[in-house]
Amino acid sequence: MMAAAVNHYFGSSIGRKQLVATTGLLLCGFLVSHLAGNFFLLVGPNAFNLYAHKLEALGGLLFVVEGILAVIFTIHLGLAIKLNIENVKARGGAKRYALKKNTGRGTTFMSQTMPWTGLILLAFVILHIKSLKLGTYYTTVVDGVTMRDLYKTTMEYFVSTPATIWYVVAMVAAALHTSHGFASAFQSMGWNHGKYFKNVKRIGYLYAVLVSGGFAFLAVWCHLKGV
Amino acid sequence: MAINLDPKVPQGPLEQKWDKHKFESKLINPANKRKFTVIVVGTGLAGGSAAATLAELGYNVLSFCIQDSPRRAHSIAAQGGINGAKNYPNDGDSVKRLFYDTIKGGDYRSREANVYRLAQVSNNIIDQMVSQGVPFAREYGGYLDNRSFGGSQVSRTFYARGQTGQQLLLGAYSGMMKMVAKGKIKMYNRREMMDLVTINGKARGIIVKNLITGELERYAADAVLLCTGGYGNVFYLSTNAKHSNASAAWRCYKRGAAFANPCFTQIHPTCIPVHGDYQSKLTLMSESLRNDGRVWVPKKEGDNRKPAEIPEEERDYYLERVYPSFGNLAPRDVSSRQAKFRCDEGKGVGPTKQAVYLDFRDAIKRDGREVIAGKYGNLFEMYERITADDPYKTPMMIFPAVHYTMGGLWVDYNLMSTVPGLHVLGEANFSDHGANRLGASALMQGLADGYFVAPYTLGHYLASTPLEKITIEDNAFKDAEQAVRLQTDRLLKVKGKRTADDFHKELGHYMWDYVGMSRNEAGLKKAIDGIRKLREEFWQDVNVPGDTGNMNLELHKAARVADFLELGELMALDALERNESCGGHFREEYQTEDNEAKRDDEHFAHAAVWEYTGANSSPVRHKEELVFENLKLATRSYK
Amino acid sequence: MSAGNMNLNLKIWRQPTGAAEGKLVDYRVEGVSPDQSFLEMIDVLNDQLVRKGEDPIAFDHDCREGICGMCSMMINGKAHGGYKNTTTCQVHMRLYKDGDTIIVEPFRAKAFPIVKDLTVDRSGIDKVMMAGGFISANTGNAQDGNAVLIPKPIADEAMDAAACIGCGACVASCPNGSGMLFMGAKISQLALLPQGQPESPRRSLNMVHTHDTLGFGNCTTHAECEATCPKGISIEHIARMNREYLKAAFTYYEKSRSEGGA
Repeated sequence: MMAAAVNHYFGSSIGRKQLVATTGLLLCGFLVSHLAGNFFLLVGPNAFNLYAHKLEALGGLLFVVEGILAVIFTIHLGLAIKLNIENVKARGGAKRYALKKNTGRGTTFMSQTMPWTGLILLAFVILHIKSLKLGTYYTTVVDGVTMRDLYKTTMEYFVSTPATIWYVVAMVAAALHTSHGFASAFQSMGWNHGKYFKNVKRIGYLYAVLVSGGFAFLAVWCHLKGV
Repeated sequence: MAINLDPKVPQGPLEQKWDKHKFESKLINPANKRKFTVIVVGTGLAGGSAAATLAELGYNVLSFCIQDSPRRAHSIAAQGGINGAKNYPNDGDSVKRLFYDTIKGGDYRSREANVYRLAQVSNNIIDQMVSQGVPFAREYGGYLDNRSFGGSQVSRTFYARGQTGQQLLLGAYSGMMKMVAKGKIKMYNRREMMDLVTINGKARGIIVKNLITGELERYAADAVLLCTGGYGNVFYLSTNAKHSNASAAWRCYKRGAAFANPCFTQIHPTCIPVHGDYQSKLTLMSESLRNDGRVWVPKKEGDNRKPAEIPEEERDYYLERVYPSFGNLAPRDVSSRQAKFRCDEGKGVGPTKQAVYLDFRDAIKRDGREVIAGKYGNLFEMYERITADDPYKTPMMIFPAVHYTMGGLWVDYNLMSTVPGLHVLGEANFSDHGANRLGASALMQGLADGYFVAPYTLGHYLASTPLEKITIEDNAFKDAEQAVRLQTDRLLKVKGKRTADDFHKELGHYMWDYVGMSRNEAGLKKAIDGIRKLREEFWQDVNVPGDTGNMNLELHKAARVADFLELGELMALDALERNESCGGHFREEYQTEDNEAKRDDEHFAHAAVWEYTGANSSPVRHKEELVFENLKLATRSYK
Repeated sequence: MSAGNMNLNLKIWRQPTGAAEGKLVDYRVEGVSPDQSFLEMIDVLNDQLVRKGEDPIAFDHDCREGICGMCSMMINGKAHGGYKNTTTCQVHMRLYKDGDTIIVEPFRAKAFPIVKDLTVDRSGIDKVMMAGGFISANTGNAQDGNAVLIPKPIADEAMDAAACIGCGACVASCPNGSGMLFMGAKISQLALLPQGQPESPRRSLNMVHTHDTLGFGNCTTHAECEATCPKGISIEHIARMNREYLKAAFTYYEKSRSEGGA
């Protein structure tokens, strides 16, 4: 049983939960770098396109990094779905109680909606890659170098009001998701200590507001600038 | 019929008896232990610790518990602590002093050798529980902390907040779980023992009822350990849990195990008072509260002012006044009686006038709210939840309630009853507390019996007794099962008008009024007569709906009440025959001028041991003379 | 029989056996006193049912002072009624108003199958404990209680965790039917104490494995367990378990060896 238990880490409730937590935190890190890049939009078309070009110029390395990111995302998503299906079973099916109320001291709107905000984000990511990364390929010349004009693709995309609204909605979902997920990941990894955990929670909320707010702000900015 | 009441106390000096006895006991080699099967009924401190230890030694243990898990036995509710003669505080404690305090506390009605052994192993218990991971209270330096309890002038009580019983029980339970996982204990939950099976005069098995299916089941073994607790619920209202009952012990009594000192019951002084007819149980407030709380009543009769409005000089701190050297920490029987006297004088407080104050005002003033909260916070919260009064602001109202039964099945030094092979441990036996138990000693006794006594004495019994091969198909099993079945059918057939609880409550009134804190001849006779009539009525008018075929809660309940209705009479009879006052047994006819218990050592320095002689004849009272070789019989004084 | 003046409408889950269909049944209880406990109110109802020759409502209870962990009801959608640090037996009727409708259901989870009415089978808790919720200290092994010093804050924290009464409210109120709080409390208690540490890795691995096998759910940090725990046990103990488990999963190893010798 012992060896089985060790090998079982990746199949165990806590092991898988810790994988969801670590992948979640890694994705949080990715979002910060993504947002930092997006701020080049404010500087101007050239700066933004140059930044994007530098990334593309990494070539194979970018491909590897993107691959890793895709794996992280898939693990996070796959395990979360699996855990969720198990949890519905564990609670005794969907129709559990005739009446179930929360005490108000535990479960929050954020924690309850994790699967739904997660699914919104999944849909968002797919559409996001489709319409921006794989969107119309314009070219431009900056400092004598021909490169992709991602700035134009972006600005064109955000001219659409529904697209902007959808983006903002997705960012609200991201805020809800990370405001629970951030601290929960710390808890899952075992990093909950009476002395610090309140601050971890605060940082989680701050992260959620700043990062998702930053993305949403840029989307609205693009929309207003484009029309 | 001859009944053997030889206590089998080993010869030799008191201090060496147990060591000598252990050495002289026969051993069973480890390979042979696995050939023996032992039944342990009950999973409290005594049953849990015995089951775990016996399984560790290699015996096959069958363990039975009435709840859904062994972790819920009523030992769990003990709040205050457990005594141990460690003398860590360097305040003059020793094995001998714990022995002396316990004998004196029990008003010289217990067996010296047993009590001395209890005091000897008390230290091993503390060590054992620490090693099991019981988080006893510690001081900042990391050392174990102690506090004081009633009836002693040293601090020898170890505690885990207000949940000591819980922590000790979970320790014993964890030991059991370890052995269940190893397959050495077979656990049977939601089972109630219905009868003892004896073959060739030896206890060889039990009949149990599966409380879910209602089916009767038979289990055979080489010996039976009965660890089913006390019978305080005969009073209906007590601090015992709702499932605590006397039936297992009572059925053993009817199979030949003599019952000793049934009238010795402990009425605990600090419980939350009764407040209505619908009340199902009473809640204890730990004795430890008397370390800091001061007990008082108004000096004036019928004083209806709020406690805060009664000035200092109009309060009677009666325990401090009557017992200056022990004060609020006078033993339980004494404190309870004093509370009753005050209420009888018309000085009781609260809506029913059946309560006294337990006041923390001075302690909070002296130590600050935080210190008091640290010591008793959870008890204060519990009190507030039940009464909606905040003890930080207004004194608690308390009143005595039935809490523990010192009486029980008679056992010898080996904890064996008058039925060979039937060993009785913990509160279910009569052995160590005499006529009154000191606080924090019940946990000690349960664990002493289970961890350190029974494993030795049981081994000796098994090694030295010829045990025939038997199976559950033997006639004795069939007959015993049939007897249970007949009684069940009889209960179901009555289909009368009154519920089992009705009868139980009425019995409780008889017991509380006439066999409670103080007793007299006329009252006891009235009780015996009344209980007999009530029993007749029960069998003609009880209403048990349903049948045997499922989880019939009323049927389970009614069977227990039927036994209580018999036991209650024996208690009254025992109280009537004991023409003296001692400990918790206070006969109004026998008291000193200042209302203290007046013992009669010349005629009653014995345990009264009752033998069952059949449904239609009176039980016979035997005596086990108590020999005091090491302590002089003295009048107990806490003044 | 009762002395009060509250009248209540109850909707109580009735289910004759585990296999049978169950449903909410309407009852009315009159003359309830505010000083009555919730269970005493059900007692009154049962008394009425028995007098009518009907089957009383089966519910688990024992000590009725909040420590045995036997009582287990979802009252108006909350485990033990949802009051802070309170078990069902300690809920008093003064918390309700005359005319209230109260819905009472059993604790539900896949790992807690219904036995009858409000009684459920919580033996899963014992099974998790059997997998390692102990210190292997056989009787007679112990050294002096003061031989190993335990700083007061550590002893206190271990006691916070040890306060678990095994009632299963954490599982019943967890949206995932997870048993992490009661399991975490035990693993944490024993990991905090020096005498529990030698076995800690093995304990964490085995208990978590058993917990998962029994069909308890995963923790997603709702902390609803902490909110409904009658002993107020903090999810910090779940975190300590997670830590112990992670450490054990990657470092603990038992080589198989044959034990021989003369």
